[in-house]
Amino acid sequence: MNLRILASTMLVQMKHSFARPVFKLCMLIAPVADTILLYYMFRHSGRADFGMYVVLGAGLTSLWETILFSSMGDINRERYNGTLSLLFGMPTRFPLILLGKIIGNTILSFATLIISYITAYVLFGITLTVNSAGLLAAALLLAGVSFVVVSQFTAYALTLSRKTVVYMNCLNFPIFLLCGFAFPIEILPAWALPISYALPPTWAVRMLRMCFAATIEPALFGQYALILIGELVLFALLARLLFIVIDRQVRIHATLEVF
Amino acid sequence: MANVIEVKDLHRNYVTHKGWVRRKKHIVTAVDGITFDVREGEIFGLLGQNGAGKTTTIKMLITLLAPTGGTCRVLGHDTMSESKEIRSRINFIFGGELGVYRRLSARDNLKYFANLYRVEPKTAKKQINEILQLVDLSDKADLRVETYSKGMIQRLQIGRGLVNDPEIILMDEPTVGLDPLGARMLRDVIRKLKERGKTVLLTTHYMYEADELCDRIAIIHRGKIVALNTPKGLKQSVKGNEAIEVSVDRAEPAALDRIKALSGVKALTVKECETGEIIHVSYSADTDISGPLLDILADSRIVSWSRKELTLEDAFIILTGEDE
Repeated sequence: MNLRILASTMLVQMKHSFARPVFKLCMLIAPVADTILLYYMFRHSGRADFGMYVVLGAGLTSLWETILFSSMGDINRERYNGTLSLLFGMPTRFPLILLGKIIGNTILSFATLIISYITAYVLFGITLTVNSAGLLAAALLLAGVSFVVVSQFTAYALTLSRKTVVYMNCLNFPIFLLCGFAFPIEILPAWALPISYALPPTWAVRMLRMCFAATIEPALFGQYALILIGELVLFALLARLLFIVIDRQVRIHATLEVF
Repeated sequence: MANVIEVKDLHRNYVTHKGWVRRKKHIVTAVDGITFDVREGEIFGLLGQNGAGKTTTIKMLITLLAPTGGTCRVLGHDTMSESKEIRSRINFIFGGELGVYRRLSARDNLKYFANLYRVEPKTAKKQINEILQLVDLSDKADLRVETYSKGMIQRLQIGRGLVNDPEIILMDEPTVGLDPLGARMLRDVIRKLKERGKTVLLTTHYMYEADELCDRIAIIHRGKIVALNTPKGLKQSVKGNEAIEVSVDRAEPAALDRIKALSGVKALTVKECETGEIIHVSYSADTDISGPLLDILADSRIVSWSRKELTLEDAFIILTGEDE
């Protein structure tokens, strides 16, 4: 039953999101623009692998933007549409509904990586070599799950406030910087590194980069995967606890609707 | 008949903060110690003006809002701590055009909500076709909701409220903005639901709607219940009062103020009509206001003058003391 609800929510969300012009803009135009901009930023970097940074950087940045402005923006849209309170009042638990929505958006958002690659290839002749298709599939899956878990965690918190749009905008750039979507996080100041390491997408990005590097170290890849899975479990547990608090707080503070 | 809703000394405050540096707490009391029961199979009305506390009460009953004080039980369960046990057995309809997915079709909306209510797909399919027929949307069921008129969206809302075949349906001003035909259709649906043994709790500020549909009505005013009775009982509770209706070409505000100030006048309402305005005055039966009333309206052209039965609106105005 839960799987059916999850699947139907994903499907409804995908239909609904794709019907929105802003979503299409984020999903189809943003990766093209990001790829072009990153190409001109990186072309004189002197790195042989700068093409990978352009494609992954643009693809992941657009992917995060699309998820952020769709999944988390959805909290606000649902609130103004009067459906947030409906979803909250269902016998189906709200986290399951929210999970279906986020997975639906994340699946659609993965198109940004493909669009980014096509843009880089067509405009600048950039090609990427995958050193292990299996590990790439695993890295993509874990990247998807890490984005879903972070989004779920953040979306819960956003149900507590009606100022969702403000917080949503505040989240865009820090995640891009802290998770190192377009550059290695080692160039960040030392005090920022613990925050980066605590975010699951950081490890997913590292794993994805390894798949396009000249050589791959399976042991290191496995180590990153373990850290990532550990963090995902921790985030999922924290999200569960957070929801217990939120379930009470939204009903006490009446933040499910606008008046 | 057993009580399916039990509300005791229910309170709800909203807290807001003003200012940037020295934030001042501002508390608004929306519901102020109300007590009532709803019996199984009855249509119960919460009647009150905008801001009286009707919607807040409904939101507490449907488990979406925490009471600040008092208890609120639906089907024997506490709405705050046992919401899980309640949610699958009730449904709710909010008036207006919100609460549906506009980029999906009516059928997709109903299918999705049936799914969230954990209705088996086979049952849901059959039920959705019946609901679409009931709310007269069968021929437009596969069009996107964003192409619908306001009335159609509200009918879809009603349909959504029936997808889980609930034992209790809570409706918050369901006919707001509906055209007369749509409103009549909804009233028919509510009657059919009662015939099928469903309990309906309805909030409205339309007196005739409450009078026509409800078995019992609670009049809620500024967060408090000021009267609870059958429509007939409410009208009888203001016995000792009478009403006069005067149709005039134009009612001057100063004249209306003078009528209100007459000794024995309990309530006054003015409604526009084709020939001008209709002044409805309810007053204490032991006073005779005909003479003074004629004097005040001397400058207006009186089209008609009649003594009226007291309506629920008269009772409402007298009981709440509001005639604005």
